[in-house]
Amino acid sequence: MPDKKSEEKKIGVFVCHCGTNIGGLVDCEKLAEYSKTLPNVKYSEHNLYTCSETGLAAIKKAVQEKDLNRVVVASCTPRTHEPLFRECIEEAGLNPYLFNFVNIRDQCTWVHMKDSKAAFEKSKDLIRMGVSKAEKLEELEKIIVEVNPTALVIGGGVSGINCALSLNNQGFNTFLVEKEAKLGGRLKDLYQVFPSDREASELLDELLVKVKEAKKLTVYSSSKLKSINGFIGNYEIEIEQRNHNINLNVGIIVVAVGATSYKPLSLFNYNGKNIITQLELENKLREDQIEANDIVMIQCVGSRNADREYCSSICCMTALKNAIIIKEREPNRNISILFRDLYTPGTIYEEYYRKAREAGVLFIKYTPDKQPIIDKSVVKVYNQYINSEISIPFDLVVLATPLIANNDNRELAQLLKVPLEENKFFLEAHVKLRPIDFATDGVYICGSAKWPADISESTTQGLAAASRAGTILSHKTIEVEGATAYIPDWNKDLCKGCEVCIKICPYNAIVKDENNEIQIIQALCKGCGTCASTCTKKAIVIRHFTNEQILSEILAFGGEKVA
Amino acid sequence: MDSSRNVMVVGGGVAGIQAALDLADMGFHVHLIEKKPCIGGKMAQLDKTFPTLDCSICILAPKLSECYRHKNITIHTLSEVKKVKGERGNFTVELLKQPRYVKEDVCTGCGDCSRVCPVRGVYNYFDANLTTQAAAYIPFPSAVPPVYLIDGEKCAYINYGICELCIKACGAEAIDFKQKEELISIKNINSIILATGYDLAEFENPLREYGYKKYKNVITALEFERLICASGPLGGHLKRLSDGKEPKKIAFIQCVNSRSDKAKKYCSSICCMYSAKEAMIANEHDNELESYIFYIDVRAGSKGFQKFINRGEMEYKIRYVKSKIAQIEIDAQQNPIIVYEDFESSKIKKLKVDLAVLATCIIPPDGIEELARIFKVDLNKYNFIKTDPFYPLLTSREGIYTCGCVHEPMDIPRSVAEASGAAAKAAESIREVEI
Amino acid sequence: MSFEPKILGFLCNWCSYAGADLAGVSRIQYPPNIRVIRVMCSGRVDPEFIFDGFEAGIDGIIVMGCHPGDCHYLEGNYEAEKKFNMVEKLLSFVDMNERVRLEWVSASEGNRFAEVVTEFTDKIKKLGPSPVKDTSKAKELLNKLNALKMSAVSYRLRALVGRERAVTEQENVYGEKVSLERFNDVFENAIFDEYIRNRIVLSLKEDEKSVKDLAIELNMEPSKILEHILILKGRSQVAMDKIVGITPLYISTLEE
Repeated sequence: MPDKKSEEKKIGVFVCHCGTNIGGLVDCEKLAEYSKTLPNVKYSEHNLYTCSETGLAAIKKAVQEKDLNRVVVASCTPRTHEPLFRECIEEAGLNPYLFNFVNIRDQCTWVHMKDSKAAFEKSKDLIRMGVSKAEKLEELEKIIVEVNPTALVIGGGVSGINCALSLNNQGFNTFLVEKEAKLGGRLKDLYQVFPSDREASELLDELLVKVKEAKKLTVYSSSKLKSINGFIGNYEIEIEQRNHNINLNVGIIVVAVGATSYKPLSLFNYNGKNIITQLELENKLREDQIEANDIVMIQCVGSRNADREYCSSICCMTALKNAIIIKEREPNRNISILFRDLYTPGTIYEEYYRKAREAGVLFIKYTPDKQPIIDKSVVKVYNQYINSEISIPFDLVVLATPLIANNDNRELAQLLKVPLEENKFFLEAHVKLRPIDFATDGVYICGSAKWPADISESTTQGLAAASRAGTILSHKTIEVEGATAYIPDWNKDLCKGCEVCIKICPYNAIVKDENNEIQIIQALCKGCGTCASTCTKKAIVIRHFTNEQILSEILAFGGEKVA
Repeated sequence: MDSSRNVMVVGGGVAGIQAALDLADMGFHVHLIEKKPCIGGKMAQLDKTFPTLDCSICILAPKLSECYRHKNITIHTLSEVKKVKGERGNFTVELLKQPRYVKEDVCTGCGDCSRVCPVRGVYNYFDANLTTQAAAYIPFPSAVPPVYLIDGEKCAYINYGICELCIKACGAEAIDFKQKEELISIKNINSIILATGYDLAEFENPLREYGYKKYKNVITALEFERLICASGPLGGHLKRLSDGKEPKKIAFIQCVNSRSDKAKKYCSSICCMYSAKEAMIANEHDNELESYIFYIDVRAGSKGFQKFINRGEMEYKIRYVKSKIAQIEIDAQQNPIIVYEDFESSKIKKLKVDLAVLATCIIPPDGIEELARIFKVDLNKYNFIKTDPFYPLLTSREGIYTCGCVHEPMDIPRSVAEASGAAAKAAESIREVEI
Repeated sequence: MSFEPKILGFLCNWCSYAGADLAGVSRIQYPPNIRVIRVMCSGRVDPEFIFDGFEAGIDGIIVMGCHPGDCHYLEGNYEAEKKFNMVEKLLSFVDMNERVRLEWVSASEGNRFAEVVTEFTDKIKKLGPSPVKDTSKAKELLNKLNALKMSAVSYRLRALVGRERAVTEQENVYGEKVSLERFNDVFENAIFDEYIRNRIVLSLKEDEKSVKDLAIELNMEPSKILEHILILKGRSQVAMDKIVGITPLYISTLEE
């Protein structure tokens, strides 16, 4: 490739009137004339609407006829129009990154309407800064990453299975890795599931049939993840199945490892016999082993407190469901549910709550400062509504405990280089708008591994992860924005290996390779520039926002250094 | 069967946008149909969102931009579906597109037409009808598409043949009064995703028992949202609409029209969170402001929600009072008086506040029955689109999927996850034909 | 004619630049002194830029980013804040710390953007032209600014700033965290040390000098100067050139 740095820079400047929005306040013709006096500017013109078809055509014509190799447009804002002009010069034969935008409308004529002289001077300064940067712009190529159209789903519960099935149906080879001997996750422990009291085993069987029929899905049960290398599009995975190592190559990874039910060992005299958890109750219900006549269920045991400042969202529905099952079998049994707030949002769940009330379940609200107390064979609870303590005799106490993060989340998080939040559930890229993505591209999260979720939400999130993965796997290659960080060859000696950059990058895009050299993974870099301004030896360069380019803008404004 | 790679997403709110983006990124072509002049839905009207208190339009705007510029997405604004024929793999959909009277690909978004338009006083739906605008307008400054439009019902030229000031003012010559209603037929649609969102109780119920509309200081949550929004009618400086006083005590009334045998039986899901959020934002603007939230059950089960509620209580002067409010009275200074049950004293008490905010319930969007008829999908007993919790996102009709509030009241994170899920179903449908 | 300051603004693409655009779209007026350099993230702003700006005669520099928690690149603004704190501390040695500002402006805060710019412009107007333009003081001031800039790009300070958040906000494998107070103590000492060291290096670039010469020039105790010289020797930034009588003379090894 010819040495671009020594090539003569021929900049074309196009000043836009934007109707009267710019032209009505400042003299665009004079601005175009001024531009021509700037270093390296070979051509300038002014247009009524540069973004119109005529304006774009004028740019293309000028580029070709005047042999321009850099284009500057002074008009509105790059945030809306930069892509349009980049495309325009690309069509004229120039690399799209050889374009610079000067904002003389939204940040000039529109906000200095009472001082046209000042707006004119400011426009001149801004154009001078823009031209100065343009001179230093370089061609950039978009980075192409090859994608292996294969997926890895870690975790074979309801979320992972649904995700894997959807990926299979979308036509992608999928590996489903499950650490237990059988698929199903917590579904295997449940009896009937809300809100329609279907049998969990029936739901699971239905899924397993689909898994068997899925032609592109391979299940590895009794398998654990051992190592992961690579990045989006190209992961090299090692799993261990019964002391046997298996290597897999995939394009994306989905984490669907679920959560664990909390055992309240030190709360409410839990003994696993007549003071049990809702999960243990499921087993007894399945075996029809309930003989108790007076049942008290206590909600929020071990949750919504200082240890676990969250609501596990599924426990209220679980308690209601089990209470309804018991009542339907034996209407004469007494069931009281001691709750703080009943979590039954939406349409179906609220209806379920009504159903429980109509079935004769008693609801008593308690406040966190006055916890219920187990006293021999009664539960004492302070009831706000009647302002006094009541004693409820019991044969069986059922404690609703939260789902908590798996013990091995930390290990998995470190392997994948993804973060955990304070309760050790996995942390997604953005709680609101990217709930299924990790900040690291190519890895996704769904189900209770992210946050306690019921079957409906786990299924939905599994499907969502399959969709997110599909946006990558659908392509043979993916393009990554070219304005990334890199360490140029001539700076490699500067790097001391201090690793400050590695810690700073929120996308885990910087690693140390086997030669102990710092590598910035182009496919993961978003070009934010934080690493460059942190680098202790100033070795990192940010394409399209280099130190030289920014310095040239500063000097173009301030004037040459006073020194 | 024609192998088509087209999907139609009906509804341009955050759910519709997410579904469209996912499908477009997979390489399929998406027709995004939106009834209003711009995409963004209710989320664009919010100030901040829970539980992160980040600026709503700031996090939404990049997605709106991406949608607008995406090669694989065609946005049809001012459009409604009128007819659906065919089946999964090959739907034909007929749209009715209202005239914008502005050429979309010519308008530069400068706003000169709006400045000269003499017809004023048109209620702005985006500001919850708290402000008025001209007949030539853009719903909000960063609307996508960034194109103005003319309200056909109010425009003097369209109705009386007079004026034309906008034509003279428009340098780009984008005004086009010759535009008419258009019927557009789109064929070869493999699947459809319904994401038409929700309306709120006050859209169909005058809420007289709370004094809404009668008392100026009883407002709805959406109105409050616009009043505290930095880009809203008060620029984020909260003032009472009756006398301009800055409120120091605000009452949030939960479960307005919901969880009620007399109105809607279901729970609107998001109001506990949004009331806490609104109280927190108000307190951020004025540290002395106290809020009282009158509730039945506090519902904060999703990620970070409980912590958010706790923070509100501890750091933002929010007090929770368990009491369902049946009515609001008013005193001579227009101060709302909340009549509630106080447990500690076992008495009925009254609390005087400066402002009362009604957390109104999510209801199915206007026209849902017609929508269900056109798409031939079932509605459930609450008139939301019917889905089965074990087979989520599927409607009663094959090839038509759904996500977001149109089938169940839900918050933004769930809507976005569901949207991706619905996109997966549509993708499976398309690929099934191809494999 | 009243003084019209030159104000330079670094605006992040996703929040503050968008907020500035919104001010434009809403036609909110503000003083025309500011010129904006667009960066993708406030984290991109290298402390060096600030010193470059002052050396070029700019009167006030403002950096604007997204509100904490809103950064498009997740954490860039937190890093920007740490770097900015360092810049402020460095500038306080030459009484120019009031000429810089860090503000959070979101994409929906058009009004706030205009308010911030107006207020900052007024403030700089009151402060008057940058002392760099005062020819009587310029040479010495530029010398000091150069030393400050060298400190801002020194390995030690950049390593401290780069690790600040990790060290003060995350526990190490022993579950320990450094308190922000303790960190700031260490940091402030480091800043002062590096500043003096760079002034020594610059001074020794002009001419060979003894410890005593430097002590007089920098108004510090000779023993302290010697400590710094020894460290600079260890870093190979200064060397002993010759001995005159019993007094060693040092020079800087700094290349042009």
